[in-house]
Amino acid sequence: MNNTNLLQVSDLHVEVEDRTILNGLNLDVAPGELHAIMGPNGSGKSTLAQVLAGRDKFEVTSGSIQFKGSDLLSLEPEERAREGLFLGFQYPVEIPGVNNAYLLKAALNAKRAVNGEQEVDAFEFMKLIKDKMELMQISTDFLNRSVNEGFSGGEKKRNEILQMLMLEPQLAVLDETDSGLDVDALKVVATGINTLRSPERATILITHYQRLLELVVPDYVHVLYDGRVVKSGNKELANTLDERGYDWVKIETENK
Amino acid sequence: MSTINLQEVFDASLDQSDISAASRSLRNEAMVSFHETGFPSRKHESWRYTDLKPIVSGGFDPSPQPINSQQEKKATQEIEKSILDSKALRLVFINGKLSTNNTFPNEFNGLSISKKTESYKSIDVLQGKELFKDYPLAALNTAFSQHETLIMLDEGIQITKPLHLIHINSGTEPTAIQPKIAIDIGTESELTIVQHYIGSNPEPSWTNSVTLINQNKGSLLKLYRFQEYHHEQFHTELLKSRLSNNAELKLGYVDLGGKLVRNDVHIDLAEPGAACSIDGVFLAMNGQHIDNHTLIEHSAPSTTSQESFRGIIGEHGRGVFKGKVVVHRDAQGADAQQSSDNLLLSEHGEIDAKPELEIYTDDVKCSHGTTVGELDLEQLFYLCSRGVNKTTAKGLLTFAFANTILQRIEVPEVRKRAASSIAGELPDYQNWGGLL
Ligand SMILES: Nc1ncnc2c1ncn2[C@@H]1O[C@H](COP(=O)(O)OP(=O)(O)OP(=O)(O)O)[C@@H](O)[C@H]1O
Ligand SMILES: [Mg+2]
Repeated sequence: MNNTNLLQVSDLHVEVEDRTILNGLNLDVAPGELHAIMGPNGSGKSTLAQVLAGRDKFEVTSGSIQFKGSDLLSLEPEERAREGLFLGFQYPVEIPGVNNAYLLKAALNAKRAVNGEQEVDAFEFMKLIKDKMELMQISTDFLNRSVNEGFSGGEKKRNEILQMLMLEPQLAVLDETDSGLDVDALKVVATGINTLRSPERATILITHYQRLLELVVPDYVHVLYDGRVVKSGNKELANTLDERGYDWVKIETENK
Repeated sequence: MSTINLQEVFDASLDQSDISAASRSLRNEAMVSFHETGFPSRKHESWRYTDLKPIVSGGFDPSPQPINSQQEKKATQEIEKSILDSKALRLVFINGKLSTNNTFPNEFNGLSISKKTESYKSIDVLQGKELFKDYPLAALNTAFSQHETLIMLDEGIQITKPLHLIHINSGTEPTAIQPKIAIDIGTESELTIVQHYIGSNPEPSWTNSVTLINQNKGSLLKLYRFQEYHHEQFHTELLKSRLSNNAELKLGYVDLGGKLVRNDVHIDLAEPGAACSIDGVFLAMNGQHIDNHTLIEHSAPSTTSQESFRGIIGEHGRGVFKGKVVVHRDAQGADAQQSSDNLLLSEHGEIDAKPELEIYTDDVKCSHGTTVGELDLEQLFYLCSRGVNKTTAKGLLTFAFANTILQRIEVPEVRKRAASSIAGELPDYQNWGGLL
C-alpha cells in the first residue's frame, strides 16, 4: 500500500438491505488534497460518506479502507471521529433536548482525551468558538439551542462547518454541504472549508454544483456512477459535467 | 406477609396507652376495611399489570421494632450523602418515624409540624370507608401507622424555602414502613415540598406511604416527589388531594430506584378554578417495575388539569401508566390535557400505558395521547460521528427525552440530581449550564 495516502479505499463493495450500492469503488486521497465527488442522484455518494464515518446499517461485503495506514473499518464511529475523520451530513439530524454547546464541548473533549490533552473549560471553549461562529455567521444564541432543532436548511449546513472548524479533522468528508445555500451562505461555507485546508489535511467534497468548486478549488474531480468511480479528472471535468450532464459518462461507461 | 398474622400484630400495636381515642377508632376502621378487601390482586382492573405477590409473601413486619442507635447512625450518614439541599428546611423520617435529626424549627413563619393525634376535619374528610375500600393499601397504612405527621401552613403566607421530607429505611430485617403525612395549606398561602425517598440499604423493605393534602382557597402547593432507592426496595404510595376555589397543585414525580413501585395519585378539583399539573418521569431498568396510576376528578366548573408522564424502560424493565380523568356533570369549561410518552431502550422491556377519559358534561376541552418509541438511530449515529462514545450518546438522548419533563421541576437541586442520574455517563452535567 501507498504509505503517503491518508485514505485508501480499495475495491469497496457495500450492501444495504440485500441491495448492492457500492460495487468495487477505489479512491486514494493524499494529505493536502481536495477531492470533489460528483455523480447522479442515487449513485452512492452519501453511502460512501456514511460508510467512511461508520454507519452500521451499510454492510461492507468486500474491499478495504485504510485511514492513516490502519484499518478504518474495524473502528467505531466515535473512534473514527477521534482519529480525525469528520462527516458533514447531507441531512443533519435534529436532536431536541441536546444542547448544541454541550455536543460541541463533548466532541472536543472526546478528541482531546485521545490526544492526552486536558478538557476544555467553559472559558476556553467560548474563546475557541467565538471567532468560528463569527466566521460562519452564526449568532451565539445558537449555542443554547438544541442541536439543529428548528434550524433552517442553510443554518444546518453552516452548523456542520462550525463543528468541523472546532474539531479540526485531518479528513473532512462534506456531503452536499453546498446544497440549499443562498449565494452569500455559499461563500461563508467555502471560506470555512478553505480555512482548514493545509498540507496535512485533506477534504472530500460531495457536490452537484460547479459553483462551489469555483470557490473551493479541487485537485481532483471524480464521477461516481453505479457504485464505482467511473471517471476522474481535474477541475475541468466539473466544468464539462456542468455543461453536458452525466449522460455521456454513462454511455462511455456502458461501452467499456 | 405469609408468616405474619396481621391481626395479632395490629392488636399488639394498639395495646399502648398513649394512643388517642380518635386515632384508635380510625385505625380500627381501617383494619376492619383491610380485612374485608385484603391485598389488591390482579383481578382488580387497576392492578392488572402489577402483582403484589413479592410484597404479600415477603414477610415484611408491619410494626417494626424501633431502630437502635447504630442503625440511626448509619441512616444519618447515608442522609448526609444524599442530601439535596443543605440549606432547606428538613424533616427526616427514619423507618417512617420523624427523627430528631432534622433542621426544622418547630414553628417557622406560620408553618407548623406536629404529630397528628386528634381528628382534624379538613384532613379526615379525605379518609374513611370509601378511601379504604378504593385503596386497601392506604387502609393498611392507616391501621399500622404510628407516626402521623401533620404539616400546617397558616393563611396568607408564602414560604419560598422548600421543605424537604427525607424518608430513609434502615433495618436488617424485612420491614414494612408506613409513613403517613397530612398537609393543610391555608388560604392564599404557598409552599414547596420535596418528598425525597432514599436508601441504599440492600435489605429489602417495603414503604407503604400515604399523603393526604387539603388546599384551601387560592393556595399553591408544589410537591416534588423524588424516589431514588436501592434497586431491591418496594414502594407503594397514595397521594390524595382536595383543592378548593382557585387552588393550584403542581406535582412532580420522579422514580429512579426501587424494584416494585406503585404510585397512586387521586386529585379532586373540588371547587371552581382549581388547577393541577402532574409531571412524571420514571426509569424502569433491569428488572424494575414502575407503575403510576393517576385519577383526576374535575368536580367543579373551570377546573384544569395537565398531566405528562415520560417513561424510560430498559433491559427487562416494566412500566405501567394509567391516567384516568373524570369530568363530572357540574364541571363545565373543564380543561384536561394528558400525555404519556415512553422510550423503550431494550426489546425485553415492556410498557403498558393507557389513558382513560370519562366525561359527563358537554362544554369541555380534553386531549390525551400515548406514544412508545425507541432511541433514534440517526440521532445516535450523529452524536457518535462527533466523537461522543455510544454510552454517553445514549445517555444524552435518554436525558433529552426526560429533560422536557425535568425542566418543569422548579427546585434546581432535584432537577439536577435527577438529570445526572438519568444521563448516566454524561460528564460534568452541572457545568454545561455555566457555559454561557
Ligand atoms: N436503507 C436503504 N435501503 C435501501 N436502499 C437504500 C438505503 N439507503 C440508500 N439506499 C439506496 O442506495 C442508493 C444510493 O443512495 P445514496 O444516498 O448513496 O445516493 P447519492 O449518490 O448520495 O444520491 P443524492 O445525490 O441524491 O444524494 C439509492 O438508490 C438509495 O435509494
Ligand atoms: Mg446523497
